[in-house]
Amino acid sequence: MSRQGTRLDAKKVNSELFTLTYGALVSQLMKDYDNADDVNKQLERMGYNIGIRLIEDYLARTGTGRCYDFRDTAEKIQAGFRLYLGISPVITNWSSAGDEFSLQFETNPLTEFVELPDNCLGLKYMNVLTGVLRGACEMVQMDVTSWFVQDQLKGDNVTELRVKFIKRLEDAIPAGED
Amino acid sequence: MTIHNLYIFDKFGCLLYYAEWNRLKSSGITREEEAKLMYGMLFSLKSFVSKISPLDTKKGFVCYKTNKYALHYLETPTGLKFVLNTDVNAQNVRDLLHQIYSKVYVEYVVKNPVVNLRDPIKSELFKVKLDGMIKQFPAVSKAS
Amino acid sequence: MNNTITISQIRPKSILDKSLSKGRGEVSLSCFALLFCELVQYCQNRVYTVPELQNKLAEMGQEVGVKLLDLYFVREKNCKRENKLLNMLLFIKTTLWKGLFGREADKLEHANDDERIYYLIEKEPLVNRYISVPKDKGNLNCAVFIAGIIESILNCSGFTAKVTAHWHKGTTYMVQFEESVIARDKQMEER
Repeated sequence: MSRQGTRLDAKKVNSELFTLTYGALVSQLMKDYDNADDVNKQLERMGYNIGIRLIEDYLARTGTGRCYDFRDTAEKIQAGFRLYLGISPVITNWSSAGDEFSLQFETNPLTEFVELPDNCLGLKYMNVLTGVLRGACEMVQMDVTSWFVQDQLKGDNVTELRVKFIKRLEDAIPAGED
Repeated sequence: MTIHNLYIFDKFGCLLYYAEWNRLKSSGITREEEAKLMYGMLFSLKSFVSKISPLDTKKGFVCYKTNKYALHYLETPTGLKFVLNTDVNAQNVRDLLHQIYSKVYVEYVVKNPVVNLRDPIKSELFKVKLDGMIKQFPAVSKAS
Repeated sequence: MNNTITISQIRPKSILDKSLSKGRGEVSLSCFALLFCELVQYCQNRVYTVPELQNKLAEMGQEVGVKLLDLYFVREKNCKRENKLLNMLLFIKTTLWKGLFGREADKLEHANDDERIYYLIEKEPLVNRYISVPKDKGNLNCAVFIAGIIESILNCSGFTAKVTAHWHKGTTYMVQFEESVIARDKQMEER
């Protein structure tokens, strides 16, 4: 047994369990919906639900406050990738207005054992991430959207996630008060 | 030193959780009314504090004191609100609030697959862990 | 994408060109816990009853199990599968559990009254860490997901069994083998 001595950190979990669980989820969605577009949408929606929970864990762990500007946001998102997936995407391709940037990564535990069959090329396998970003940011009063512009599963050299700031959201006010 | 009671509100002002340990007097109104009153007060006080501040306030409203008790307030960037009433001498209550958030709320509510974040918290495990944390807190060396 | 002319169906770099990782990669526990949360919620929204939900979670676990079986035997056992029942169970309790959860499962027991039944006991399964044990113990146990993993690993390696998860000493996975599996194992022992 080659695994002797491997002791998993109590706050960590084997990435293969994570990879395969996500894989099982995606393949379940492929069974539950007829077409890739609907699966992509559902993955985004599920990502959103994960994001609104994940942000609480992120804030509790890092003790970070609200972002100063969108560059700050980009760095915090990058830190999130490091914290949760153990990868450090590169922040690049800022738009001139400073409202859009890209995250590029070369490896990623979500896609570790994945190869898309030819009939699934419409599937955005990692679309869950776009939902996670939307959900997490919305909880801290930011409306952002994101999409994949390059995808290694589709033959690109890197995977590139484009993130765009839309607007700041207003703080919630209690019911019955104006 | 004494911890009296705790309120947790979500960002929309819904009372997610209430617990009391040493509450000697009740407000005489229903829990719902009391929660509404509390939330309204916090909301107004928060905006008042930042409006009237002569400096650039970062943390804003964190606490008020009367001659009998102190109210400590923690709001997360996601708008969750934790309110703890203690006696006036209690120390480091802010740390405790943060611990409640990170070690109890995040662990046993956020990561609990059978809980919906918008619903009031009913998890027994959450209650047990919260009680444990409150009782371990140095300030609670038996109500004196 | 639609405009490209496909000449070969085979993309230049296939996943099979990469060597198999050692499997020591880690992600944050929160990350897995939150993915699992959403998986449970997704299943919950598509079924009406707790048994249906358990079935759905078990199915997902089975999907994971099939893949783990190949992965672990290729990596850990030089592509050789176990053919003795007890060794197979021990493989699950030790090697697989250590790989997935960083520690062995707490206990493996054989039922006194039924030779087909084994119990694998886990005080605090990863997927139940944040959940309170329901008072009536009849409620949803999310560890059916892990039961599904075990079941498909056993089934795909020729040890046909039904695996269920119960709230008992933490969580107990009850493994009930088919008669024929037990008979075969006895024959092998006699040889």
